[in-house]
Amino acid sequence: MWNKEVTEKVRHRIDIFGWIVLGLFVFLFLRLWYLSVLQGEWYRERSERNWIRVIPLQALRGSIYDRNGKTLAEDVPRFRLVLLEGSMKVEEARRRLEKVLGRKLVSEPREIVPGEVVLLEDLPLEDVIKVEEVQGDLPGILVESYPHRFYPGGEVFSHLVGYVGKVTAEEFSSLGPLGYEVWDRVGKGGVELFYENVLRGKKGYRKIEVDALGRVQRVLENHPARFENSLILTVDREFQEYCYGLLGDKRGTIIVGEPASGEILVLVSKPSFDPNALVEGLNAEEWSRLTQSDAKPFTNRALQALYPPGSIFKLLVAIAGLEEKVISGQTTFFCPGFLEYNDKRYYCWNRGGHGTVNVERAIAQSCNVFFYNLALRLGPEKIVDYAQKFGLGVKPALDLPGVKEGLLPTPSWKRQTRKEPWYPGDTLNLSIGQGYLLVTPFEIYHLLCGIANRGKIYKPHLLKGILDSQGRLIKEVEGTLERETEIRESTWNLLWSGMKRVVTQGTGYVCRDVAVELAAKTGTAQNPHGKDHSWFGGFFPADKPEIVFLVFVENGGDGSGEAARIARDLINWFLENRGMKSGKR
Amino acid sequence: MARGKILVAIVIALCLVGIMAVYSVDPLREEGWSMKSFYGRQVIWNIVGWAIFLLFAFLDYHFLTRAGWFFYLLMLLSLGGVLLFGRGDEAGARRWLFAQSVQPAEFAKMFLVLFLGFYLSEHHEEIDSYALLFKSGFLSLLPVLLVFAEPDLGTSLVLLVVWLGALFFCSFGGRKIGMVFLGLGVLGSLGWLFLKDYQKKRILAFFDPWRDPLGSGYNVLQSQIAIGAGGIAGQGWLSGKQSQLRFLPARHTDFIFASFCEQTGFLGGALVLFLLGMFVWISVRIARDAPDLEGKLLASLVGVVFAFQVLVNVGMNMGVMPVTGIPLPFISYGGSALLVNLAMVGLLYNIANSRKKKNGRDKLEWPYQQ
Repeated sequence: MWNKEVTEKVRHRIDIFGWIVLGLFVFLFLRLWYLSVLQGEWYRERSERNWIRVIPLQALRGSIYDRNGKTLAEDVPRFRLVLLEGSMKVEEARRRLEKVLGRKLVSEPREIVPGEVVLLEDLPLEDVIKVEEVQGDLPGILVESYPHRFYPGGEVFSHLVGYVGKVTAEEFSSLGPLGYEVWDRVGKGGVELFYENVLRGKKGYRKIEVDALGRVQRVLENHPARFENSLILTVDREFQEYCYGLLGDKRGTIIVGEPASGEILVLVSKPSFDPNALVEGLNAEEWSRLTQSDAKPFTNRALQALYPPGSIFKLLVAIAGLEEKVISGQTTFFCPGFLEYNDKRYYCWNRGGHGTVNVERAIAQSCNVFFYNLALRLGPEKIVDYAQKFGLGVKPALDLPGVKEGLLPTPSWKRQTRKEPWYPGDTLNLSIGQGYLLVTPFEIYHLLCGIANRGKIYKPHLLKGILDSQGRLIKEVEGTLERETEIRESTWNLLWSGMKRVVTQGTGYVCRDVAVELAAKTGTAQNPHGKDHSWFGGFFPADKPEIVFLVFVENGGDGSGEAARIARDLINWFLENRGMKSGKR
Repeated sequence: MARGKILVAIVIALCLVGIMAVYSVDPLREEGWSMKSFYGRQVIWNIVGWAIFLLFAFLDYHFLTRAGWFFYLLMLLSLGGVLLFGRGDEAGARRWLFAQSVQPAEFAKMFLVLFLGFYLSEHHEEIDSYALLFKSGFLSLLPVLLVFAEPDLGTSLVLLVVWLGALFFCSFGGRKIGMVFLGLGVLGSLGWLFLKDYQKKRILAFFDPWRDPLGSGYNVLQSQIAIGAGGIAGQGWLSGKQSQLRFLPARHTDFIFASFCEQTGFLGGALVLFLLGMFVWISVRIARDAPDLEGKLLASLVGVVFAFQVLVNVGMNMGVMPVTGIPLPFISYGGSALLVNLAMVGLLYNIANSRKKKNGRDKLEWPYQQ
């Protein structure tokens, strides 16, 4: 029947439809199984990448303290605003922020870590509050705290403590394998650089949960950044600040320390620069002004600049002469104000002459003619020999980067580099610390330490101790003997006696009134470019030295003037504020 | 008949899943029971919907089909009204009447089913003729184009599929159906020119979602991520990150399947798929055993409407279908769709039960009964 036929056909079609649909459902079922069971792990990870943000936290650095616990460098918390990428366009975020803060944003946004753009740094607390209040309108914008390096000592300590900066692209190739990232801070000079491995802390990170708009829902994990060690230095912050002030607007350096331990109390170099400004970041103009300046503020004059030592070098010539028995305490030379040698006159600084001088008087009066005569008998090699015994011309083992060594000229050196023979005039110049001879002020300080300690030379150092993160002392630096120079007692006695007479009746007369017995030596280094450089160094108490000092003033005139006056003031300050260990005044 | 009762039990289960799923992604959930919340409204619509279900379940479907032309005109009027007076949404589409309360396109699904069931059985002599093919085609494409103009690509596709299903069930020959597909293919390629940009992008994104993972591919990716992240047992009730942290768009409507799967995993998703599959399968069985051509057509077309919506919606949730904005029956949030769906379930229930009645009272004498 026709009807029946149609009905059968319709029924048949409905069956076909049923099976097709069933097949499609089976396919969907398999797809579901594939997505959630087979690929579940992969998709779960994709999902986590959606909602988990890992915010790296910058490592903290240990603090740096002076010997009395005063802070020289520390991390202080600062706040910045970051935008989580993908939650808002940077321009839109800046527009909204400007509305909230009520001021224009001047700084350029920059990406510090992947996925995070810094909108504003160094946010004042009231702005932090403003932003937190309207957090809902600023999706994806987070207030983050970050450590900022602060140097309370400012420019007084910048050569010594150094400063930190971001890892540069050039540094990254070498620092990258050590775990540094381009946004990390690393020591760029001074103690910050030398003890980078000790000061460097551990990075942290924070895992946060964000929604589709980048709004933070909660903190999932918090691994705060840490520091591991802090440093105690041998320096005395107050003393150094006083010494820095003493130099005024002159260029120069002051070094004070304890010869019996090698500890450095003061290491001043002027002119200096403000390390805090460097950490904040200088613009190109400020930077070039600093680096191109004639004053060379980045040069640590104590360690990196070379000068002729002038008469202060005579101490060494005297030691060499006495030890080599070229002269004795009784040996005298007559000073008419000059020495005639090979038909040439070599003058004493005192054209009027010193008359008959022995070694003690020669030191006290800084008589050139005495040392001309001595040097001619001694020869340059012997002088250089002794200089080396006291560490001149050798890079000092001080715990600071970029330390330089001086130049000790010998006949063979001159032949090799200058292609000229050594003339007797060279020897005469050498004997009074002029000519080719160049030293760093620190080498002279080191020499004075050796003299004060009667040949026992201790390793100079700035590190006094290391603290762990809890503030417990985990390492204390003891004085270590660097070398011991075998010099006879009689030599020392003569030398010391001469140095005492420098103050009482010699060129260091300016210091005669200080309340402690002093042994010192002046130096006036002729400077072809301008006024003479002024040296004054010594130790006190003279018969049992505790403190060695060296003052060097660039273009300070003669050593008996500028440098000696500064030395007098610093000694007075020390006696008043610190006093002697022996209690002796 | 047990079939009808099983069907109702399945739909009740699906509606409960729907309320739970809407609750789980409701942003106002924390504020407690409220008519403003999505799940609160979904509950109310369920209540209204089940009342409508009762109405259709116990109102003889022949009574409804006799009003076929009325439904057809009502459909055209309401769809025309949307275009003239409709309220636009954020995307610029006009889909609502009466201040975003009624979506005529949703009702058009049922109206077209009722009309075609009526119209084709009325013209049963002409079955498999070109004349009927063109007449029914003309009458069906009219609402399809009206809905497409709103624009609502998804629903207009549903209406188109209803007509194609009707042709298929009415035993139109393979050659004629092939011609229809050919014609639609030509029309479709022409229609591509008229698609909105966002619709084109969505279709392109379906083929390569990674091309623009934050733009048009975003929906497809995030929903697949949600389903995948659910794993076997799910991330736990109310704790899926994709939906709770709002990475998944249209969490309570088009992508509700994905957010449910994220929370309940493969097991929950498979359960929902099983229930939906059972539902379609039973509706096919009801159609097969319906007492007359009218009943067969109505039941099978209802089956087509549901099957197509489920396949497309779940398919797009799992990235095997383009994103076309078709909701998941009984589960997606939405009043109009739920009311219409439950009315159609009532229709199925009614058809399922009419076989018994036929045997009992022999009231539904019809030319094609066996």
